[in-house]
Amino acid sequence: MRKVLPLKISVSGVRGIVGQSLTPQMAARFASAFGTYLGQGQVLVGQDSRPSGLMIKKAVTCSLLATGCQPVEVGILPMPTILFLTRKKQARGAVVITASHNPLDWNGLKFIGPDGLYLPASQIEELLDIFHQGEFTFVPAERIKPALTEKNAGFLHLRRILSQIDVNLIKKRKFRLVADCANGAGATLLPSFLHELGCEVRFINTELTGTFAHQSEPTPENLKELGREVRDFKAALGLAQDADADRLALVDEQGRPLGEDATLSLSVDHVLSRKKGPVVVNLSSSLVIEDIAGKFGVPVYRTKIGESNVVEKMIETRAVVGGEGNGGVIWPAVHPCRDSFTAAGLILERLAGFPGSISELMDTFPRYYLLKDKFDCPAELAFRALTELRRRYQSENISTVDGLKIIREKAWFHLRPSNTEPIIRVMAEARTAKKARQLLEDFKNEIKQILRQLS
Amino acid sequence: MKPLKLSVSGVRGIIGQAITPELVIDFASAFGTRLAAGPIVVGRDSRNSSPMISAGVVSALLATGHDVIDLGLCPTPVIEFQVKRQKAAGAVSITGGHNPASWNALNFINGQGTYLNEFQGQELLDLYHLNCFQPVFFKKTPGVIRELNPEEPYFDWLLSRLNLPAIKQAHFKVVADPVNGAGSKLIDQLFDLLGAQLIAINNEANGYFPHDPEPRPRNAMEVSSLVKITGADIGFLLNSDASRLSLVSENGETLSEEYTLPLLASYYLKKHPGPVVTNLSTSMMIDEVAKEKKVSVIRTRVGQSAIIQAMLEEKAAVAGEGSGGLAFDYFQPAFDALAAMALFLELLAVEGQKLSALVERLPRYHIVKDSLACPAHRLHTLVAEVKKLYPGEEINQMDGLRIDKKDLWLHVRASATEPLIRLIAESSSPHRAQAEVDKIMSYLRRLTG
Repeated sequence: MRKVLPLKISVSGVRGIVGQSLTPQMAARFASAFGTYLGQGQVLVGQDSRPSGLMIKKAVTCSLLATGCQPVEVGILPMPTILFLTRKKQARGAVVITASHNPLDWNGLKFIGPDGLYLPASQIEELLDIFHQGEFTFVPAERIKPALTEKNAGFLHLRRILSQIDVNLIKKRKFRLVADCANGAGATLLPSFLHELGCEVRFINTELTGTFAHQSEPTPENLKELGREVRDFKAALGLAQDADADRLALVDEQGRPLGEDATLSLSVDHVLSRKKGPVVVNLSSSLVIEDIAGKFGVPVYRTKIGESNVVEKMIETRAVVGGEGNGGVIWPAVHPCRDSFTAAGLILERLAGFPGSISELMDTFPRYYLLKDKFDCPAELAFRALTELRRRYQSENISTVDGLKIIREKAWFHLRPSNTEPIIRVMAEARTAKKARQLLEDFKNEIKQILRQLS
Repeated sequence: MKPLKLSVSGVRGIIGQAITPELVIDFASAFGTRLAAGPIVVGRDSRNSSPMISAGVVSALLATGHDVIDLGLCPTPVIEFQVKRQKAAGAVSITGGHNPASWNALNFINGQGTYLNEFQGQELLDLYHLNCFQPVFFKKTPGVIRELNPEEPYFDWLLSRLNLPAIKQAHFKVVADPVNGAGSKLIDQLFDLLGAQLIAINNEANGYFPHDPEPRPRNAMEVSSLVKITGADIGFLLNSDASRLSLVSENGETLSEEYTLPLLASYYLKKHPGPVVTNLSTSMMIDEVAKEKKVSVIRTRVGQSAIIQAMLEEKAAVAGEGSGGLAFDYFQPAFDALAAMALFLELLAVEGQKLSALVERLPRYHIVKDSLACPAHRLHTLVAEVKKLYPGEEINQMDGLRIDKKDLWLHVRASATEPLIRLIAESSSPHRAQAEVDKIMSYLRRLTG
C-alpha cells in the first residue's frame, strides 16, 4: 500500500512535512491558486523561523510573480503583525510560511485576504477549487512586476498598539517582567514593545532557530520555566507567547500559571471599563466573560471554535472586544485578530491602574474551574452519540452551534467531535473544581454508555 | 498551442504559457537531483520574467539539497566561469538569449562550466519525465549565498590572457549595444580595463529590449550611425546574455553575424592552431580560413551544446556558430561575447589594420536565411518532406537536411528553440541562394496550407 503522506489542507491553510508532502511544487501550486484568486496586486510574504522557510518562500515568490502579483517580503514576523500590515498597507492579501508549533520538519502556508482577515471557510473553498482544477492565470512577461522587500515593517504594528494604550501610566510602574517568546516570531518585536513601555524584562526562549524549547500550549508544564524565572527575577508578571504570537498566557508574581481564561478575562474587563459594547467569545470560553459583561450590562455572543468565526461575529455585531479562552485576545481598536502584543498592552495597562499585584487583581474576578478531556471514538459513532445526547437534553438550555453544549446555572458541559482526528473532546466548567469534575465524569459515563449501546 | 521547447541544454518557452512556476520547479528539481552533491550557481539576464524563474529555480535546488550561489544579474559566460571558480556542481543560467522579451529559458550548465552534453541532457529529460525528485533531509537545510560582483574575478582572468599592452596602446574608440541585457554596465568596466573609449547605447540592465536581442545587421542601425558619427574603430552588438556578438566596421557597415567567427578565427588560429568546430548552418568562410591555416573543420548539429561537446572531444582551438557565438580553447569552452570583444580589440591592435580591410580579405559569399512558422508536432515531418525536392542527391541528415552542391549549400532544419523551420542557403551568387530558399519556402507553404 502507498504510504499516506501527512499533508493537511484546512481552513487555516496547508501544512505538511518538508520534502515529503510539502514540496516546492506543492507550495508553488498553492501560491499560484492564491495569486489567481486574489488578482493582481501587492501580496505580503512573511515567514516563521523554520530553516525550510527560504525554500518555500522562493517557490511562493515565483508563483506570485507569475500570476502578476507583487510580492512584498516582510521577513520573520508574528502572525498578528502580518495581519495588521496587510490592512495597513492596503495589500491584496498575504501568504505566511509557517507551521505554528508543529515539529521542525514541518512547514505550511497560511492565506490572508484583503483587510488582513483570514479567508473565511467559503473563500478557502473557492481557493481550493482553483488549486484542484489547476486553472491558474499566469500573466505575460511584460506584466510581471518586481518583487519588493520591506524591513522593519513590524514597528508599524507596535506603534498602532502604543497609540491605543496609556503608555505613560505603564511606564510609571517600571514593571519587572519575564517574557517567554517560545522561540517563535514574537521574539522579533516583543523586546522593543516592552522597552517602549518602560519595563525591565528578562527574556527567555528568544532564539529564532526554528527549534522550540517547549510546546507553546500554555499548560502548567510548559509554563514551569517561566514560573521559575519569575520567582528568580522577582518579576511582577510573566508573559508567554505561543509560536505565532497570537496567544498570550500569564504567570503571576509567585510563578503560578493564571489559568487559560485569565488573559481574556482581564482584557475584556479592561476594554469594557473604557468603552462599553458587545463581546464575542467562542463556546468554550469561560463563564467569567458573562459575569464581566453582566457587570457592564453588555451582551455576549458565542460562536463556533476558530478565530475566523469569532472575528466574523465581532464585525457583524460591532463588538468592542472578543477572543478565545486559550489566551487569544481580539481588540478591533488595533486589528480584528488574536494578538499577544495587544493582550500584553491591555493587561499591563490594567495592572498599572490597579494598586495591588496581579494575583490580587485576579482575586477580584469570580473563580471558575475548567476541565478538559478527550477519548477515542470513530467519527461516525461520535456523530450518532452526539445526536442521542442532544435528544436526551433537548429540554435544557443547549447550543448546537459547534457539537453540543449544555448550559446550566454557573456551569456548562461541551462535547465536540474533532474534525481532524477520530476523538471526542469534552469540557466542563463550574464554580468549584469538584463540581466541574463531577459534571465531566457524569457526561463521560453517559456518552460511553451510549456508545456501548450503539456498537 | 503553447510553444515549449525542450532541448538537451535546457527548456525554453513563452512566459505565462509554457513557462510556468511548476515547470520551472520540476526542471530545476530534476537538475538538482541529477547533479552530485555540491553548490549550484544561479544567474539571470535582465528580463522582467527572470527574477520569477530564478525564485523557482532556487526553491527547487534548495529542496534537492544543494546550496545555491546566487550571482543575480549575470551574463552566461561569467556564470560558466564562476562554476569552475566556485568548484560548483553546476549552474542554471536564466536567459532567453536572442529570443524576444516574451520568452525565457533555463539553460543547464555542468560542473565543467559548459552546457550539458547530449547524454547529460537526456538524463535530465528522463528525470524530468519520471517526476521523481530527491527530497531534502531537513537536518542539513541548504542556504543561499549571494555572490556580489561575480564579474571581477572573471575580468582578472580574461585580462591575464590578453595582449593587454598592445590593446591599451591602441586607445580604441568602441560603440557597443548590449540591448539592455545582462552585459549592460559590465561593458563599461571591460572597455575601461582595456583602455578603450566606450560609446554605449541600450546600456541599462532593465529588461526593456529596444529591438530583438539578436545581434545581426537589421538590429544594428543605431550602432552603425554612431560608429560613423564618432569615428569609432568598431561597433559591437550583443544578445541578452552576452553570449553572441555581431560587428559593425569602422565605416559603418553592418556585418552579418556570420563574419564574427571567421574574422576572429583567422587571428586566433595563428597563435593557437587547432581544429575548428562549427555547425551545419554556418558560412563557408570558415572553411577558407581553416584551409589557409591548414586546420580541419568539424561540423556538428546546431546549438551551443553540440558544438561545445565536439570542441572538447576534438580538442578544437575554436568553436563557433554563424549566429555569432564563439568559444576559444585558451579561454573557456563556452560562447563568450565578452572575451570575443576583447579579442577583437587585440586583433585590431596586433594586426594594425582596419576592420573593413580584414573583412575584404575574406571571400564574399551570399547567405540567405529564412524561417517558416509551423506547429511543433509537424516540424520534423515537414523538414523530411523537403527531401522530395532533391531526389538522388547526397543529403547529410545529422540535423535536418544539409545539401551540398557546387558553389551552393543549403540547410533545412527544425529550430531547437522555437516552433520554426529554418532555411539557410549560401552561394557566391546571391540569386542562386535566394532562388533555392524561395523554392523550398513555396513548397513548404503549400504543404502547411
